[in-house]
Amino acid sequence: MSDLSERLQAYLRVKLDAPDLTVSGLSRIPGGASRETYRFRARQGGQERGLILRRDPTASLIETERSAEYRAYEAFHGLGLPVPAPVALELDPAPLERPFFIMEEIENCQAGAILSPDPFGPHRQSVGRQFYTVMGRIAAADPRDVGLSDFEGETDIHDVAMHEVARWEKVIDEDEIEPQPIARAAIRWLKRNPPPPAQKISVVHGDYRTGNFLYDEKGDIRAILDWEMSHLGDPLEDLGWAIDPLWSGGGDVARPGGMIPRAEGIALWEKASGLKADPEALTWWEIFASLKGAAIWISAAREYAQGRNIDPINAFSGWFTLAFHNNVLAQRLGAAA
Amino acid sequence: MSPEIPTILALTVQKLNGDLAENGAAFAQGQMGLIGTMLNFAAKEYERGADIRVTENAELRALFAALAPDVADAALKAKLEAAAATRDESLLISKLNENNYALRRLLTEAQIHAEDRGDSAAQQRIWTVLKAMAARRLVSLAP
Repeated sequence: MSDLSERLQAYLRVKLDAPDLTVSGLSRIPGGASRETYRFRARQGGQERGLILRRDPTASLIETERSAEYRAYEAFHGLGLPVPAPVALELDPAPLERPFFIMEEIENCQAGAILSPDPFGPHRQSVGRQFYTVMGRIAAADPRDVGLSDFEGETDIHDVAMHEVARWEKVIDEDEIEPQPIARAAIRWLKRNPPPPAQKISVVHGDYRTGNFLYDEKGDIRAILDWEMSHLGDPLEDLGWAIDPLWSGGGDVARPGGMIPRAEGIALWEKASGLKADPEALTWWEIFASLKGAAIWISAAREYAQGRNIDPINAFSGWFTLAFHNNVLAQRLGAAA
Repeated sequence: MSPEIPTILALTVQKLNGDLAENGAAFAQGQMGLIGTMLNFAAKEYERGADIRVTENAELRALFAALAPDVADAALKAKLEAAAATRDESLLISKLNENNYALRRLLTEAQIHAEDRGDSAAQQRIWTVLKAMAARRLVSLAP
């Protein structure tokens, strides 16, 4: 760890043109399955601040592009949303062995535990209202206005849904280590029952949910995190993912993510985004969300089983969460058959 | 399930012998919590693993026997009849998995055939089995 700390200090002294900068307290923190995440303090000119280092792992839960994640932080921090300020992006592996980026640490906050039936306690109303409103504001942003119009993703409103299905089908094709009849059936259902065209193309966060934001002791959301799967797409994709039953942690699925009632949340999202959450379209994106989840967990299982990333979160994902989403898909599609 | 228990236990040992401590207390605590959860899952799977697979394989064979008479495609019909006549000769998890994977692949073939023909009765039969399979494989977080 001291070697990493020294290398980080040397890098920042040059990058920030701060020859007196010192790094201390570097320690790895849990979470961030697709990046190694570290907290540290940087002191310069009598001022000290907390920073977060996100470094590429040797193998990831899901292959993502770190420059896209960094640009999303830049764009939405600049828009005034609760997003940490980015500090530096380094694609050259030389300084710290692997590409990485650094952003400000949002201190004295916590994330909601996804497997808790009541992750926000007395703050569930306040947090929930902000959760859907911020998601709506992300959907409302024009990708051109925030400088992300070249992001990965389909830009034709008629093709965006099938583009996403193809993307995750490819992940399953490549990473499946045992036959997945439920995921395969879900893919066929999604293809046979396409949703209406997207109302617009937006920046999709890609993993907007309980567990991926920080809130403070007053119940205010201070940071939307983990933008590594952000891309261009149908804004309903984020809404469908956010209300997936997995994030209710075995609690009341009528209160997605352990927050406010579903209908209230969707109304807030509609108001903030200026869009409609057409029930038929949203149902399709909910099924898609569970299929996307299954694909991610299948990929995690392969990373783990092949010893490429032996973080136990990958074993957990390939077992608990994959079984969970297989069951969600089977019960929903089986009821519709 | 994937990955299987022997892989999880072997890689857990590797993890415990590896970089847990050097990454700091908060990270180590998080990793240990997850490792504890995985060991809890493994204990449960030790008890139920063979039963789940034997039951699932039996249900799939019974399903194929029920579907086969109405399948027009001669090649698929023959495969369903042949699979329905197989049995699990060993209770080794690896052997049960081998049979299970073959049965699951054939299940997808049968389901595509039923979907393409618009055979709603067959589709409902298949979904009944898939729902039971999925529910049976759920993992509880309870100790």
